[in-house]
Amino acid sequence: MNAPPILTPDEQRDRRLVELLGMDRMTLSSRPRDVQSATDRWMRYLGFPGGIALFLLVLYLPPGAGLSASAQAGAACFALALVWWVTEPFPTYVTSLVLMFLLLVTRVATDKTIMYVLGMDVIWLNLLAFILSSMLVKVRLAKRMALWLILRFGKTAPRALLAFVILHMLLAPLIPATAARAVMVLPLMVVVAAIYGASEAHNNNVGRNLMLLNLGCISVLSSMTMTGSAANLIAVGLMQTMADQRVYYMDWVRVGTPLAVITMLLMWWIGQKLIFPVPPEQRQPQLAGGLDLVRNQYAELGPLSRDEKKALAIFGGVLALWMTDVFHMQWFGVEISAPFAALLGAVIVLMPRWGLLQWSEAEIPWHLLIFSAGAYAGGLALDDTGAAAWGVKMLFGSFDLKSVPFGVAFTVVVAVMMYSHLLTTSKTVRTLIMLPIIITLAKALGWSPISLALPAALCIDWVVGLPISGKPNVILFSTNQYSVGDNFRYGMVTCTVGVLLQIVFAFTWYRWIGLTPDFFAVAP
Amino acid sequence: MKRLAIVIALFALGSSALAVDLKRYETRLDVGADGSGRAQATVEVRKAAPGRLKLPTGFAALPDFAADEAPAGAMMTPRSADGTAWIELTLPEGVPAEFTLRFGFATPGVLAAPRPEKGQKPTLPEGSRVLRHTFVNTQDASIGRYALVARLPSGEIVHRIQEQSPAVKRKEFTPRVELDRLDGQQSATLQLSGLRQGDRTAMSIEVVPARRSPAWALMLLPLALAWLWQFKDLARPSAAAAKGDAT
Repeated sequence: MNAPPILTPDEQRDRRLVELLGMDRMTLSSRPRDVQSATDRWMRYLGFPGGIALFLLVLYLPPGAGLSASAQAGAACFALALVWWVTEPFPTYVTSLVLMFLLLVTRVATDKTIMYVLGMDVIWLNLLAFILSSMLVKVRLAKRMALWLILRFGKTAPRALLAFVILHMLLAPLIPATAARAVMVLPLMVVVAAIYGASEAHNNNVGRNLMLLNLGCISVLSSMTMTGSAANLIAVGLMQTMADQRVYYMDWVRVGTPLAVITMLLMWWIGQKLIFPVPPEQRQPQLAGGLDLVRNQYAELGPLSRDEKKALAIFGGVLALWMTDVFHMQWFGVEISAPFAALLGAVIVLMPRWGLLQWSEAEIPWHLLIFSAGAYAGGLALDDTGAAAWGVKMLFGSFDLKSVPFGVAFTVVVAVMMYSHLLTTSKTVRTLIMLPIIITLAKALGWSPISLALPAALCIDWVVGLPISGKPNVILFSTNQYSVGDNFRYGMVTCTVGVLLQIVFAFTWYRWIGLTPDFFAVAP
Repeated sequence: MKRLAIVIALFALGSSALAVDLKRYETRLDVGADGSGRAQATVEVRKAAPGRLKLPTGFAALPDFAADEAPAGAMMTPRSADGTAWIELTLPEGVPAEFTLRFGFATPGVLAAPRPEKGQKPTLPEGSRVLRHTFVNTQDASIGRYALVARLPSGEIVHRIQEQSPAVKRKEFTPRVELDRLDGQQSATLQLSGLRQGDRTAMSIEVVPARRSPAWALMLLPLALAWLWQFKDLARPSAAAAKGDAT
């Protein structure tokens, strides 16, 4: 038997990176993270008792007037889970299991309600997405697309990040389903991250920026158009029925698009410079030989293989179904939702002889599906028990906005709307709770309802604070390239940039197009 | 369902002589610690004309009935049959077109612990009680807004709203059942607007003592202390790295 060759540290690093790029050994199963910093270690140590302390504090607080006992207990359970997800005394999926058990024993939800979450559309979409991703990885199409992207646009990490921002600007109006967009770019992101030395076992700041910038783009750029999400359309409907003010497609575009695009371009810069600074050595592809190796790897792939063409056709078919969902009823007499379009793709992929993948080759990270299920069970409990609605109302109730300049009311409304996504996992629920309050508030304060309601509605899709805040968040968190704390930091900066930009817009753009009155005007 | 249809049909026949408009029908229910209570109803009547009206109440019986306010000559008689109670209202000639009715009655056992059927497992823990209320607009006049405000006994709160129907429609901005505070105690309000004949609204709430058991604190605090003692090494860089038990 031949002894394995002894490699120098540089050779070992190069080999590991080439393996990552090949993705043959890449899994999304749970792997230990790199050695943590002192802060991380202390957070883990204190997170467990901290979570318990917060749970007991919320549980034993005197009950609020409009809050049921189960809502209060649900908030306590969720607070505990949130602390444990952020500080990670346990793996996140174990925390999810603890949360599910707590929801049962505190009688916040029934066993059926909790268990059924594993059958939710987002969990199915996650599972099916990993089958499609596995196909793209196996036939090396993901690698080809990523290498092409790097060679064409991303000679450095910042340029690669910018390429993704532009890609999402093009995709957002075409594919309204945010989860579908996340699924689409997921394999591409994993390979690009690997090229820059980031994997789930070896996180770096390029990987963090890449994943979280994509997450921001997927969510925030949905607010470019009123068809970006179902909740946007509900908001438009509420403005029409409650305020008798109609918002047309282009009305939304001219306020929503500049805000979303400028925010994401700012986040592209802020992310790599301030939040997760990318050191110079990580800006280049982390492969010996740099771009030459990338070029060689791309050349080695040769022309598109038969399997790649087949994978392209299957993925293109799924994509076409996602993009044409508004016509499904007319064409097929039934709407094929995003998970079912992916399901159809998975069926073809897994077909014997005609397909491209065997079940054993599909990389399905079950622990992350469990994490998602627990997180959604907690989020749904907050919605179902009324805890989320109560929290949102309390947020507004704590401000006295009578006789204050318009700008103050505007800032409070936009900020509350923006950060309230941390309280509920449903954009629809948040819209149905908040928009009527904002419209009523605007009327009571003497302002045109649309001057507060439309800027507030633009915040509906900005669900970027936590891995459980939205479907794409759950999907991207599965890459294990960033922690809950990283997501929170990046998300909060994104939201704050959004609020500040809205204030600047209220001074300028909104004022010029006649949406808002003078920032310092006081209602008669 | 069939029984409900018959009841509605009977009421419709009985009340067809009088076409009125009920602008507001609000019942306040004060529940005592023993689970019994007293209801006080206020009904704003519009477009009234002489005749008879069968006013549904949503309760099974109306003991200790007291008519507090009615136009001169009008008669309110409590009636009940087949687990449904109603007020028979007779309006004399010359009755004003608009007036307000007020009446009260006792509601024994309105908040009670459900007894499981023989051989069935209990579905609620010890100390939990349930308040159920169903109102069906059995007469042909529409009701502008119906509300039942149930004020819970002192020291008790709603654990969970088990049923609230009909589901809130997209254009409605208030929840079907709303929790609030009334005279220092928690209250639950069932509300529905625009009830036509046959429309039904219902709520079922589980009520528990407001004071929580200390069991959670007794169980979890020692666990937190045990963690701090047992996992001291987590905070040490070398131990954490060696164990490699991060996520």
